[in-house]
Amino acid sequence: MINRYQFEDLISEYIENELSLPKRKEFEQYLEENLEAKSLVDSVRTTMIQMKTLPKAKVSAGFNERLMATIQKDRDKLLTPAPSQKTYLGFTPIHASLMTGLVIAFVFISIQLFSPEGKMVNNQTQYYADDPTPSLSNPSLKEVNLNPPDFADLEEDSTLEESKNKPKKDFSKQMHFVNDQ
Amino acid sequence: MSLDKQNTPFVYTDEQLIARFQAGDEGAYVELVNRFRDRLINFVFQFLRDWEQAEDVVQDTMLKLYEKKHYYREIAKFSTWIYTIARNLANTELRKRKRRKTTLLSHMTRDEREYDLPAIQPETGHEVQTEFAEKRIQAAIHALPEHFKTVIILRDIQELSYDDISSIVDVPLGTVKSRINRARLQLQVDLKDLR
Repeated sequence: MINRYQFEDLISEYIENELSLPKRKEFEQYLEENLEAKSLVDSVRTTMIQMKTLPKAKVSAGFNERLMATIQKDRDKLLTPAPSQKTYLGFTPIHASLMTGLVIAFVFISIQLFSPEGKMVNNQTQYYADDPTPSLSNPSLKEVNLNPPDFADLEEDSTLEESKNKPKKDFSKQMHFVNDQ
Repeated sequence: MSLDKQNTPFVYTDEQLIARFQAGDEGAYVELVNRFRDRLINFVFQFLRDWEQAEDVVQDTMLKLYEKKHYYREIAKFSTWIYTIARNLANTELRKRKRRKTTLLSHMTRDEREYDLPAIQPETGHEVQTEFAEKRIQAAIHALPEHFKTVIILRDIQELSYDDISSIVDVPLGTVKSRINRARLQLQVDLKDLR
């Protein structure tokens, strides 16, 4: 005797007459004992018939003509050679001009970086940094006095001038000491 | 008897037609298109639920047949080959649709129109009932998981053999049978209130 799971697995085979005779008898015996199972088999059978009789759609009128036109168009496209695009060393005009611009920019920047003048500036900078007593060969540094005068050796103190001209004030009478009182 | 034989026009099999087409006979191609265009549109329509898109997919299928005719080898039936192409193209269309994520109202109204397309204007109560049942069945099929939907359409609507279905969906015969059975049971659950 089959159980519920086996019954469900065999429904389609039963409806489509694909069960062996002993299996079929077993199945039908199960159906006789289970009215609900019989009803399920009937429902499946009805749905299968309904699905077979669902209204069938058709392609719209002129389907073949449209298809043939598309095929013809594709065929023409294949036969017509693609318009030849001019290339410069394998580059299209737009890419070639972009590439030229980049190359020019690269060359210009390279010249700026590695020119002899640029080297000189760099060398001098290195030189002044290393030498504590550099020569004043650099024209831009000639005006700078690297040995400032020693202010202690000066004969006159400029601050004295101011004190000379100012009249001295006498504060002796204003001063009082604690012991004076 | 011999007269009957003489009057009966010779009918090429699908495989003979594709062989003739491969040899350069374009008339054979037209005959194949005529044989399969309606079958394929009913198959594809069940997935896409859109008449125009279904027709576009069938046209693409026929174009593929034209362009790739030499890819067919007579190791499989021609019908399984052409159904496989149509199914793949329909799946591609569905994936595109999912990507677009357009469940627009305009699309839904078009769906509704598609449901009405093959139907005749109902005049009696019985016709109304039949049309209602058809719509419910269509909707129930559409609601099935993809792997159930494909096999049930191929079996119960397209009426293909289990072997052919197995070739088209590229799964073992036993799996196909099991899926079809389970799909039918699932449909009963969905259509319970219709009985």
